[in-house]
Amino acid sequence: MVFEFYQLAAAIYLVAAVAAALGFTLPSERLSRAAVLGLSLGVVVHAMAFWQLHEGESTPPLTDLAYVVPFVVWMLTVFYLLLMIRVRLIGLAVVVAPLAFIGTFVEFLGAPAVESGAQPASPIWSHIHVLLASAGLALLAVAGAAGALYVARHRTIKSKRPSAIRLPLPSLEALDRVNALSLVVGFLLLSLGVATGVLWTQAVDGRLWPATAHANATLVAWLVLAVLVAVRFGAGQGARQSALSSMAGFTLMVLAVIGAGMLA
Amino acid sequence: MNILLLGMNHRTASLDLRERYAVDDVGPPLTKLAADGDIEEAVLLSTCNRVEVVATTRRPDAARIRLRSFVTRELASGSQVPGDRALDEALYEYSEGSAVRHLLRVACSVDSLVVGEPQILGQVKDAYRAAVDCGACGPILSRLYQRAFSTAKRVRNETRIAERPVSVARVAVDLARQIFESLNDKSALLIGAGEMIELALETLRGEGLAAIRVANRTPARAENLASQFDASAHGLSELPEILARSDIVLTCIAGSAPIITTENVSRVLQARRGRPIFVIDLGVPRNVDPAVNELDNVYLYDLDDMSGVAESNTEERRREVVRAEAIVLEEQQRFEGWLAALSAVPTIRHLRERAEAVRIRELDRMLSRLDLDESQQAGVDALTRSIVNKLLHVPLSQLRKEVDREEVLVYMEAARALFGLDHDGAPDTEVDDALPSENGES
Repeated sequence: MVFEFYQLAAAIYLVAAVAAALGFTLPSERLSRAAVLGLSLGVVVHAMAFWQLHEGESTPPLTDLAYVVPFVVWMLTVFYLLLMIRVRLIGLAVVVAPLAFIGTFVEFLGAPAVESGAQPASPIWSHIHVLLASAGLALLAVAGAAGALYVARHRTIKSKRPSAIRLPLPSLEALDRVNALSLVVGFLLLSLGVATGVLWTQAVDGRLWPATAHANATLVAWLVLAVLVAVRFGAGQGARQSALSSMAGFTLMVLAVIGAGMLA
Repeated sequence: MNILLLGMNHRTASLDLRERYAVDDVGPPLTKLAADGDIEEAVLLSTCNRVEVVATTRRPDAARIRLRSFVTRELASGSQVPGDRALDEALYEYSEGSAVRHLLRVACSVDSLVVGEPQILGQVKDAYRAAVDCGACGPILSRLYQRAFSTAKRVRNETRIAERPVSVARVAVDLARQIFESLNDKSALLIGAGEMIELALETLRGEGLAAIRVANRTPARAENLASQFDASAHGLSELPEILARSDIVLTCIAGSAPIITTENVSRVLQARRGRPIFVIDLGVPRNVDPAVNELDNVYLYDLDDMSGVAESNTEERRREVVRAEAIVLEEQQRFEGWLAALSAVPTIRHLRERAEAVRIRELDRMLSRLDLDESQQAGVDALTRSIVNKLLHVPLSQLRKEVDREEVLVYMEAARALFGLDHDGAPDTEVDDALPSENGES
């Protein structure tokens, strides 16, 4: 049943991604709105998949790449939809929807085997850690996506080409605000995620840092966010530089996660 | 019933000529026109770009003459000369389908000076309301104008004819919205005091900006302009200070050297802590050093850039006209179908009367021979009525259908021949009580 829910969520995300792409290129506000609606539906189905996973007989492998990535994209989509309440970000669906599909599709490439006996001794800490760390990573992804669109929007306005100006992207100010908010909140959540991870490890084997591939990847992501926040708010980095840095930071995080997955 | 349209617009008449025939209050002349025997219904539209009168009549030749005299004599003001050659050349006349099509095109803003502009629909609605208020508008023009309003709504929803701005001031606002999330907490600085600045002030005032400043070499002129638009006035000496507090800067001022340089803006950006600034330079020669655009967080558009965007948007609107015309044609055909069905009303009424007369005659003849009580007689009456109604249902439905006008004429002729209706004896009924509805049923 878990797998079916994942399949359904991936299919809905795919439809949303196609609608978002068409809405962007035609351009059509209706299609872009349909993409956002699809993402909302996908998030619900995706949440049901997680629920089913946790309702299983055994605790799921929380640090498994194939489990974490869909969870991160789910949170990314949730954050995107929450941000839409305050900021006009319909155009951002063109980045979020494909990410949501690809992230969910990872499930099929390496579906998490729910193995008994290899699970944490302290599931409460493990769940809190995974939740916080995934939220932090998801917000770094949001910051990266907003950064990518910021750079695109900046170039279209600077190019002064009417066809480029017409692209239905969010405003520069909205994208910059999303970028800044995602960095700050993402850093806070990931910091808490790392802290709870330490508590979890200590509860399991008495060590402070497990030095596993996934733990190191999380630490890399935390360092990336720390640097991004420091240069943005400490050194007064401009909006465009912050957008570029966020894109680079997100790319580095993806590489770290992939690397962790290969080493695991 | 014939529909006629006579008028002049921005394409056929000069502003001078249009001014002479424009009327502020259309009520009195319209009331006079509607009282004329040759005119059944009339609506008069008078805007700065067009003067048009639409009328329905049963005597088209006489009505044509009456409409022409109405426009040339009753609408003329000042030193109008009857028989003016320029006026004859400026006036256009449409009848039947072409009149319907023209009105729909006008309401959809396809015929406007600026294609897709939204004001014309409001003006057409006002003209219709004025005609209704003075009793000049009847069932046919009411239906025609309702059709025009729904067509305009369709065109607006189904095409992109009004999606992109085409005036420089509107383009500036559109671009500003691509930089800023909301304009409500932003401030604008307008440098200059000419006509372009005044137009921009008008547009920006409607966007609800937090503050608008006007700066000029002569502060008195800036003050004069600022007082009209609830803005603050400044001299050019204050520029460095007010530039830092402005998110949108629009300049159009005479001068040979740029008044905003890269150095100015670099300093301003530091004070703004990286917040973006949108600069629109409409000055010729340019008021802003073009190198300013190379700075981060500065977006500079000069007159050529703005004209390029406006021209491209105009082109897009023109492309959308093709789609709008298809909708207009579709709606024109629907209205003509309704009108054609309307012309069948006398035949329908005659057919019903003939059938009812036959039924009553035969019923009376039969009842006099039979010995029936009251309830039995009522039963037979209901039976014959039902048979007649059922027999007439199909031919009457066919005549009421909103189909091609020619097809309706064929059906009408067939009905008259088959049922032996007197061609000349058909009552020329008023249409109000027998109008077919949208779905073809009266």
